[in-house]
Amino acid sequence: MAESDDEYVQDISDDEVEAHQVTRGAGAGSRATGQGSRGAGWEVTRTWENVVEGADGTISSTVEGLLEAGKRKRLLKDTTPLQRGIIRHLLLVLDLSTAMSEKDLRPTRYLLTLRYTKAFITEFFEQNPISQLGIIGMRDGLALTLSPLSGNPNDHISNIHKLHEQEPKGQPSLQNALDMARAALFHAPTHTTREVLILFGSLLSSDPGDIHATISALVSSHITVTIIGLAAQVAICLTLATRTNSSLPPSQTYNVALNEAHYRDLLMRATTPPTTPHSTAHDSGIKSSLLMMGFPSRIVDPSPTLCACHSRPTRGGYLCSRCSSKVCSLPTQCPACGLTLILSTHLARSYHHLFPLRNWREVSWARASRPGQRVCFGCQTLFPERPASVRLQSTSGGQSHDRMSLATSRSQPQPPKAAHTNSANKDGVSESGRYECETCERFFCIDCDVFAHEVVHNCPGCQSREGLLGSVTRNVRGETEVLVEGVAG
Amino acid sequence: MNAVDGSDHYNKTSDGKWHPQPPPSLLTIILDTNPHAWALLSSTLPLSVAIANLLVFINAHLAFNNSNKVAIIASHTQRAEFLYPIPSQGDLVQANGSTHNGAQHGLDGNEAPTADDANHYRPFRHIQTTLLSAISKLYKATTPESLTPTTSIAGALTLALTYINKQSIALSSTTSSKTNADPLVVPSDPNSVQPATLNPRILILSVSGDLAHQYIPIMNTIFACQRLTIPIDICKIAGDSVFLQQASDATHGTYIALTHPRGLLQYFMLGFLPDQSSRKYLVSPTAVGVDFRAACFCHRKVVDVGFVCSICLSIFCSPPEGAECLTCGTHLRLGEYGGKPAVLAKRKKKRKKGTDE
Repeated sequence: MAESDDEYVQDISDDEVEAHQVTRGAGAGSRATGQGSRGAGWEVTRTWENVVEGADGTISSTVEGLLEAGKRKRLLKDTTPLQRGIIRHLLLVLDLSTAMSEKDLRPTRYLLTLRYTKAFITEFFEQNPISQLGIIGMRDGLALTLSPLSGNPNDHISNIHKLHEQEPKGQPSLQNALDMARAALFHAPTHTTREVLILFGSLLSSDPGDIHATISALVSSHITVTIIGLAAQVAICLTLATRTNSSLPPSQTYNVALNEAHYRDLLMRATTPPTTPHSTAHDSGIKSSLLMMGFPSRIVDPSPTLCACHSRPTRGGYLCSRCSSKVCSLPTQCPACGLTLILSTHLARSYHHLFPLRNWREVSWARASRPGQRVCFGCQTLFPERPASVRLQSTSGGQSHDRMSLATSRSQPQPPKAAHTNSANKDGVSESGRYECETCERFFCIDCDVFAHEVVHNCPGCQSREGLLGSVTRNVRGETEVLVEGVAG
Repeated sequence: MNAVDGSDHYNKTSDGKWHPQPPPSLLTIILDTNPHAWALLSSTLPLSVAIANLLVFINAHLAFNNSNKVAIIASHTQRAEFLYPIPSQGDLVQANGSTHNGAQHGLDGNEAPTADDANHYRPFRHIQTTLLSAISKLYKATTPESLTPTTSIAGALTLALTYINKQSIALSSTTSSKTNADPLVVPSDPNSVQPATLNPRILILSVSGDLAHQYIPIMNTIFACQRLTIPIDICKIAGDSVFLQQASDATHGTYIALTHPRGLLQYFMLGFLPDQSSRKYLVSPTAVGVDFRAACFCHRKVVDVGFVCSICLSIFCSPPEGAECLTCGTHLRLGEYGGKPAVLAKRKKKRKKGTDE
């Protein structure tokens, strides 16, 4: 058995450039779907061709534009309020096989994965305070429970920390890991999501049985599997991801990390709760239900008493509101009576997923030159003035373009990208360096745009004119009509 | 993280070489300017006295370190506005793409027409004139119709955060050349936030109570502060606010409810002057017990054990009628809620059957 396995590996490492089709069966055409979007893997992206000299003979303006585009790219996500699975059960599957000792991701795939996993755990519980996480490892053909399902980030992190003393070893087995994950998620209540996230460094899976039977079992128990590959795309992973997420495109469920930063981005993307579309809510097995939760009050004892969770003497703690047993930290489940104990602030943490801040739109020079707003409303930084060269062009073409984009964006919930004929607008970069909130019509700089959408989840402008929102929207409508008439005239 | 791998040590020495001074701290003051609340306080602490005390406090903060900065934001009845710094007319006229540092506005020349008092340190005088004119402008623009007993703390907090964000980006890009302050790194990696470059903190002078409909925006700003390790200090002159208590508790700020409003300056100087780095060596005023109780959405009753909708996370004191969520309208499945511990009951039945047969 061991010998045949070795040969198998040998075969693969020979043609690693072509990458894939490792496990039995399944899709020879999968490579095309995976890599078609960004060209073949060996083709170098010619980044230098994007840089064009500006009018003044320097490339600084282009470089600035590219930087802004990079910042903004992360922002332009769908902001329509969706029903999300706020209460999650996620099992993280780590590959601990020999493939993880590769050094293509620095320092090694293994160490980088451990480091990112710790960051992921922290971020996951920041974003999903009332969710549960468990960690499974794949080593030597076996699946190991590294950290059982629980809601305590510190336990998980200390368990991950122990892995630093060990070395990656043997082959991974996806089937064993998936079976273990399915068993762990079996008891998850129906109002929660059941998710598996696999960080897969190998190009093969050495399984004891038919993995397709396991995949069918996953589908029937409504478990969704998302995979982040570290080496190259593997056919069985694509099959696994597409079959368990029938409603999502494969680009959202199976990705191969290009470099360290991309790996991190992919991993952190999984901290956002997944959407549950209304139509498929019943099919996906997620049912809404009313949960009983305790909101305990904090106590400080004059003398240390044992806590129910760790049996350690502590002074501070929270008393379960049903059975009055003492727990150290929240959120948790009462170890005595099983009641979910949380703070109301934990619930509030999830609200920004439910009420996302809408994307701000780019401002053309014609619109930016209207009097009144010369500084960013958020940080009081001066906006750049309109350069003289732009003025000549935009007096004829620019204004009508502005009106057009205004009209389209108001009439449709999401302005089509094609409406922006200006080349700068393709990346979501505003030619005037201004970004406008559609509700309060205030202008902001790129830094405030990124900050408001990524960190605060508030619009500084809208929050600063409380109570006037009704009249503002009315004004907005009136103005749009005027502008549309202007175009017609 | 730095403490673990010892890189803290290296940072300190290299910092010591390049900047002999401690990192500058940015104090953002949010002044609740609700006219109603200040009118009620007029017998004990009129607004003019409060602002005079505030100016002394700001001067003390600026005198601490040459590079210290300050920003003042008004949380008015229906809007939030910057009081300082505000772009002066001179800036707007001569501006053409050059990057201006907000706190340095107006130091260059545009104050020349006003009488130059030789006994008044120029930055202090600049702040004083700007702040006073901005406040009087704010009150002149306030119409009787807009007078409501509300205050837009959420907006002011958001403005404060965007300003702090911009300032820390500006500072780290000028001082450290190799560690480029990418603002995108900040949210994704809470461990590597760069507090070493700028020590921001927020001080709220609050005179009015809570607003229920601002709950979500205020909470969003609190969580953002928590991530960026920005303490929110609360100086509670009047009213009662659970949100602000939670804010200072979550961000490790100081919460002081004034018992003698006349001694405002003393509270400022002793409670709020030390910045984040020097607070480690001081015993700061400890907060009273923080109210974390949840109120149900249906009757506004404070609950110990509540029922939570799994879709929209609304809290109810009892299962709503018809098992439909009052907020999102979803039909909810009701459970047993621990009435019968299911696992134990099943085992008993099985044993009984076994013995019967």
